Amino acid sequence: MIELRDVELRIGGRTLLEGIQASVGRGELVAILGANGVGKTTLLRAIAGLHAPSRGTIFLNGSSNAQLGSVERAQRLALVTGDEVFLDSLNVRDVVAIGRFPHHRWWQWREQSGDEAAIARALSALRIEAFARRYFSTLSAGERQRVWIALGLAQETPILLLDEPTSHLDVKVAHEILGLLRSLTRAGKTVVCVLHDINEAAAYADRIALLGEGTLLAIASPEELLTEPILERAYGIEMEHVRLPDGRLRVYAREYVTE
Amino acid sequence: MSSKAGPAAALLILVVPAAAAASLLVGGTPLTVWQIGTALAHPHAPGVLGAIVWQLRLPRVCIAATVGASLALCGAMLQGMLRNPLVDPYLTGVSAAAAAAIAIAILAGVATAITPAIGFVAGLAAALLVAALARRGAGIDGNRLILAGVSLSTLFAAIVTLAIVRAQSSDYASTIVAWLAGSMAGRGWHELAVAGPYAVVGVLLAFWSVAPLNALRIGELRARAVGVNVDRAQWIILAASSLLASSSVVLAGLVGFIGLIVPHFARRLVGSDARVLLPACAAIGAALCMLADAICRRIVAPAELPIGVLLAFIGVPTFLYLYLRPATADSGARV
Repeated sequence: MIELRDVELRIGGRTLLEGIQASVGRGELVAILGANGVGKTTLLRAIAGLHAPSRGTIFLNGSSNAQLGSVERAQRLALVTGDEVFLDSLNVRDVVAIGRFPHHRWWQWREQSGDEAAIARALSALRIEAFARRYFSTLSAGERQRVWIALGLAQETPILLLDEPTSHLDVKVAHEILGLLRSLTRAGKTVVCVLHDINEAAAYADRIALLGEGTLLAIASPEELLTEPILERAYGIEMEHVRLPDGRLRVYAREYVTE
Repeated sequence: MSSKAGPAAALLILVVPAAAAASLLVGGTPLTVWQIGTALAHPHAPGVLGAIVWQLRLPRVCIAATVGASLALCGAMLQGMLRNPLVDPYLTGVSAAAAAAIAIAILAGVATAITPAIGFVAGLAAALLVAALARRGAGIDGNRLILAGVSLSTLFAAIVTLAIVRAQSSDYASTIVAWLAGSMAGRGWHELAVAGPYAVVGVLLAFWSVAPLNALRIGELRARAVGVNVDRAQWIILAASSLLASSSVVLAGLVGFIGLIVPHFARRLVGSDARVLLPACAAIGAALCMLADAICRRIVAPAELPIGVLLAFIGVPTFLYLYLRPATADSGARV
């Protein structure tokens, strides 16, 4: 579904990541982890076709990302980002409806058959139908995040990329969102998301891609990855491993645990 | 689409013919509605009545409508593309370059018949230069565009000042100043035939830009993510804006206010959906310009008030009242 072959990413004249080899299959949820500034967002944007690799190729369903047109790419993948934006008087539904852009030709100004249902499904999946007519500028950070994810869902693409979808969210909403992403993968969607919380990633992801030292250090199941010292190398901090009564593994920074 | 957009759009469709009719009634010779209707129905009828309506008033009304619609459309597109409410149609240096070229042409004694064409070419050349300076990769950097446009406009304004200083002792100075103040006096079908086609191309490109402009409301990065070819959209919007601004400069000199303020006013009226916003801007701009031109012809007759002066005196306080009054609880962000 997504394949990265020897990908190198440069930004501002310096090499951020190199030698990235990975593939993500259909229906898989992969979390990208790594320290701040390691290149998680840049890698996600490269997969989304918004940052050209300086070397290597990214394939989406066998087609080179660089060869795809902007609309064709947007029909294959949706990118959900949390960047703040200065919005004019748009209500929630207006924002989500913009996700239908790649399904329209330039002269198709009116909503097409299928748009209404796709928008309704996206609003319903995020449980934001109740405030569909509210102005975006009046929403809380958590509500905004739900709207951005709904925008990505309205695109109805087989691949969904998310950049820190749980930032700004309280623990309950964060787990609702991750639960939703999990259910999307069961329906066949491929999900790749940048996360900060290792244990969130361990709880919901099929595999974790760990970035560090300018490359992809590992891409493995949470159980494999969390037991490896590689996690400590990536973050530059000692980790304490805790086995829950149900057998699942959790990790915490050692300083945090001992204090 | 905003719920308020439908009724407001319907109202605007009525406003344009009403403003055109009111503007046709105003002039040196008092004419009744019936006389104007008769003259309009018989375009080839001989006589003074036909000449007044067909050769003096109607072309002027059409020019005013073209200028108003062009400037308002242009302002709405540039503000949407750059997501900056302070941008106006003259940002790309079109007006300043045209003004400088025309001032030099007037000073050099070039025939007045070809000065608008000189202004048009200079305006487009300036827009190209600004676009080249603002280029970043395949697209345009909004901040660089604004900086390049403002810098070059300052340079061209200095050239105009120099031309006025040089021409102080002659009639040329007043000709240059009159042109700078904006007026449709003495313009007719010929000028409209020259500039109109470029404005039409600008309007067609504006139609193309509706969907990208709507997506750009959620930011450039997200617009790219939903499949907008932002680089191409920027070039097309810039081309459309340059054609529309240059056409209006040729037809009426520098008419301020409309391109900056009408998009704000229209956004408050119909929302920011470009499908409704762009036609609303065109309608409001056209109606406002037709009415303002009629008032300019009437208020100090037989002389004429520069349209830019009138628009600033009446329009700015009205706009400030509407725009800066306290927002209602659910009005959201207004830009």
